[in-house]
Amino acid sequence: MITALTLSPLLAQVGSGRIQGGWEYIWAAYIIAWASLSLYALSLWLRRPGQASHDSKE
Amino acid sequence: MSDLLKTVLQVGSAVAALASVGLGVWLGVKWAPPRSRVNARPVLLGMAALALALLVLGNWMGLVWTPSEREMGDVYRIIYVHVPAMWMAMLALVVNFACCVGYLLKTSWKTDALAEATAEVGLLFGTYGLVLGAIWGKPTWGTYWDWDPRLTAMAIMLVTYVAYMALRRFVEDPEKRAVWSSVVGIISFVNLPIVWFSVKWWRSLHQVQSTPKTVDPDMTLALRVNAWASLILLTLFLLHRYRTALATREAEVALPEALPTDVPGPNRASEVA
Amino acid sequence: MRGARPISLLKTVGVLLAKDLLIEWRTRARLNALIFFALATLLLFSFAVGPDTKVLARNAGGYLWLALLFASVLALGESFRVEQENLTLDGLRLAPADARAIFLSKAMGNALLLMLLGALLIPVMVALYGVTVTMGLGSFAATVTLGCMAISAPGTVYSAIASNARARDVLLPLLLFPLIIPALLAAAKATSLVLQGDPMNQLGSWYGLLIGFNLIYWGLGFLLFPRVIED
Repeated sequence: MITALTLSPLLAQVGSGRIQGGWEYIWAAYIIAWASLSLYALSLWLRRPGQASHDSKE
Repeated sequence: MSDLLKTVLQVGSAVAALASVGLGVWLGVKWAPPRSRVNARPVLLGMAALALALLVLGNWMGLVWTPSEREMGDVYRIIYVHVPAMWMAMLALVVNFACCVGYLLKTSWKTDALAEATAEVGLLFGTYGLVLGAIWGKPTWGTYWDWDPRLTAMAIMLVTYVAYMALRRFVEDPEKRAVWSSVVGIISFVNLPIVWFSVKWWRSLHQVQSTPKTVDPDMTLALRVNAWASLILLTLFLLHRYRTALATREAEVALPEALPTDVPGPNRASEVA
Repeated sequence: MRGARPISLLKTVGVLLAKDLLIEWRTRARLNALIFFALATLLLFSFAVGPDTKVLARNAGGYLWLALLFASVLALGESFRVEQENLTLDGLRLAPADARAIFLSKAMGNALLLMLLGALLIPVMVALYGVTVTMGLGSFAATVTLGCMAISAPGTVYSAIASNARARDVLLPLLLFPLIIPALLAAAKATSLVLQGDPMNQLGSWYGLLIGFNLIYWGLGFLLFPRVIED
């Protein structure tokens, strides 16, 4: 009951009762997710200990 | 997809993820400390491949295989990346809280390093999860930002942990940094439920329904595969970040014998699990 | 040792609080500057929003609390800088004063300072924004007290941390502002209700939130502060 009540203004906004299309948002979301994950992986790779820090520091 | 295959996928992804977490904890103990002799390359590569395979499979299921939702159409497919990201952010911050409490109870560089790792990785997942939430808002609410309680509380949480990371940057003495950031971490985590309730009350005038209530079992399966894949990724990220943090800590503290680094015992394992 | 001498803890708090208030009184030039800073903030809001009295009156509660929050950042930053200048914090710890007593006295001192500031700002706000106080002064005083206490407890812990870090002037607001959002929300809402009347009986729940916030952060500060200033 409550769900139907709270959804009704939303549905009125949407018009047909079902959001059509919107694939550009989906692609944007998936691309952002993959980009942030791979960029972070790259940053972890660049910060990996062992090459310079092992002998030169201190 | 047959029912048998679905069951295999359901159980298999869960087992793979939980096994990866177990391996991650083991590697965290054996491989992450500086000058470790353990050759972790095959295990790490295997875990990364597993995570990638599950992630690709989960994304394919989310984008293609699952039916479109009754009210949200196709747009709801964003939850397959948005919701796991938020879960992982929460999980990382819970571990962060455990580390902060653990450090104050028992001083150890490992706990401090894990706290640093969890805060950063939690911020990563939280940030892109928040961006995805805002993107989802555009087609469903008509605007990117509707002061929805969840998004608002999440945004406040992110600012809180950005401040936590800034504090870690701004304090040079490693011991003071560890103690102070533990205090700030505890206070920040305790604040999360308060923020949640206050924002909910504040917005109580027009609450927006932000999750679809009609859930197909296939949708749950796709969501689970994505979530388990994210869990493996989280483990890998945490593991590498933890290793970096340990190495940094060792370089910062000039006197190795004064370090409480090699505290034997299961303190780390218990906090990861 | 812990909790064995509650009387002496309270006594220490009293002595330290008296010391802080005395310092505050002897350096009243700083206090005056703080008051004028808060007044100027209040004035600037009316310039930023424009001379529309209706908008100003409707948002008066929010502006009051923002002015108090900005002033509190300055006041909190000062409260440990004073100690650092002469290394008195080390002296206090060697005395030996219970670290929890130091927290309680500092937080109470800051809360008193903010309450004084609030008491001075409210008449100015009433005049400047043309608001009418619908509910009594009692609920106004309760709101200000609860809100100021809510700012000062986490603020004291964080200013003790930030005063020793690099970039402390940026760090304190960065740490404090996101934390204080629930209290700010509740205090501003409660103030608006006090000003405009409370037909829906919502004031109680905002007070509840403020009281809960206070209990949690005074408790946490009491527990954690000794670790912050230990060496």
